[in-house]
Amino acid sequence: MTFLLLSVLTLTQTPSRWVLDSSTVRYHVSHPLHQVDGVSHGARGKGVCQARGCEFLIAVPIRSFDSGDSNRDLHMLQTVRGGQFPIVTVRTQLPEGAQLSDSVYADLEIEFAGQTAHYARVPFHVVMNGNEARVSGTIPATIADFKIDPPSLLTIPIKNDIPVYVESTWHREK
Amino acid sequence: MRILVIRAPPHPAALILLGLVLSGPLRAQTLSGVVTAPSGAVVPNAKVSLKRITDGLTTETRTNSTGSYKVADLMPGDYELTVTAEGYSPSTVTVTMVAGVNQSTDVQVRPPLSLEDLGFSAAQTQGSAEEQARLDKRSHMLKVHQRLGLLTTIPLAATVITGTFAGGRATQSTTRDVHAVLGTLTAGLYFTSASFAIFAPKIPGTRVHGPIRLHKALAWIHGPGMILTPVLGAMAYAQRSRGERVHGIASAHSVVAVVTAAAYGASILSVSVKF
Repeated sequence: MTFLLLSVLTLTQTPSRWVLDSSTVRYHVSHPLHQVDGVSHGARGKGVCQARGCEFLIAVPIRSFDSGDSNRDLHMLQTVRGGQFPIVTVRTQLPEGAQLSDSVYADLEIEFAGQTAHYARVPFHVVMNGNEARVSGTIPATIADFKIDPPSLLTIPIKNDIPVYVESTWHREK
Repeated sequence: MRILVIRAPPHPAALILLGLVLSGPLRAQTLSGVVTAPSGAVVPNAKVSLKRITDGLTTETRTNSTGSYKVADLMPGDYELTVTAEGYSPSTVTVTMVAGVNQSTDVQVRPPLSLEDLGFSAAQTQGSAEEQARLDKRSHMLKVHQRLGLLTTIPLAATVITGTFAGGRATQSTTRDVHAVLGTLTAGLYFTSASFAIFAPKIPGTRVHGPIRLHKALAWIHGPGMILTPVLGAMAYAQRSRGERVHGIASAHSVVAVVTAAAYGASILSVSVKF
């Protein structure tokens, strides 16, 4: 526990920068006839910590998602207006003293499909190891949040919920 | 030289006045400063919030046209100075006001992290309406392809079924005619459906993978088959109309038709069933 508390202090220590090393971002689409997962390893991210907190930006090219079927991926790209808005971005600010122990609750601002949605207090699991932080969690996104017309199969639309699971590894730069 | 000394108690009003004079600097300190961007340019109309840490009491003001702010009448103590401006990330610093001392604290605000900071080029981040229109057109054409393709299965099945009665020596010409009409309808729908897939806009940089590869590979069987089957069928029809037994290359009509129909069915299943 002491180690974790020390980690809390070092994460928000000033000034420091965090860089995303590797990540897995996976969305899940449910349909009565299909369950589809699209995975991307193409996210990039940075965090800047100053005296009173940290600002993080993570961005994922929509074309980097792979559901195992290029035809479906192109249809997804069209449905989420990826031609016009090719990147999904996630911004969050962690205030000074954020309790980055086992869990952290982050307020997220997500820009996707030309829309901006806010998600309050999304829980993430954090494991600190020296200058490395592993962060994982699920963003409870829905297609209605981004005004996306639900694609349908055999006239049955997909479910509104499209949870996005994020697993990321960060390292700190001085 | 004579010095006149007046020994008298001070007047109460004088004491109050003295108290006010002495306590004034203790209570009415001022914090001022300039808000600038990293370029050095001043930032006008930035919101400046000053929160007293002990009790959370907050005072707000805005920078003027020269980027300057001033907050007066501050008690001694620790404050959190937060500057927010449109297009910049909030910037917060801690300020300690000491009794009798006016302070000047300049604050630099910086733009929020950007996609350029993450190493994305402008070409990667800027979409275009043309690109979206291409995707929309592609999806629309493939939906038509899909619907027509499914519709084609109806006359295709009927053609195969009537074909089993159309080839015998005793077959009436009516049966052959029905088979030929259904075959023509099937071919017409098929090539209309195929044209929507063939002429759908291609999206550059797409690596084709997944079930769609099998779907496309099977088209190399049912595509030529859909051309060959009617040609062979017309030859067989002509031979039967002359009262001849179907012979030569025309005798392959039924085999080619069955292989074509099977490949077509597999092609539909390849994108409908999750393997």
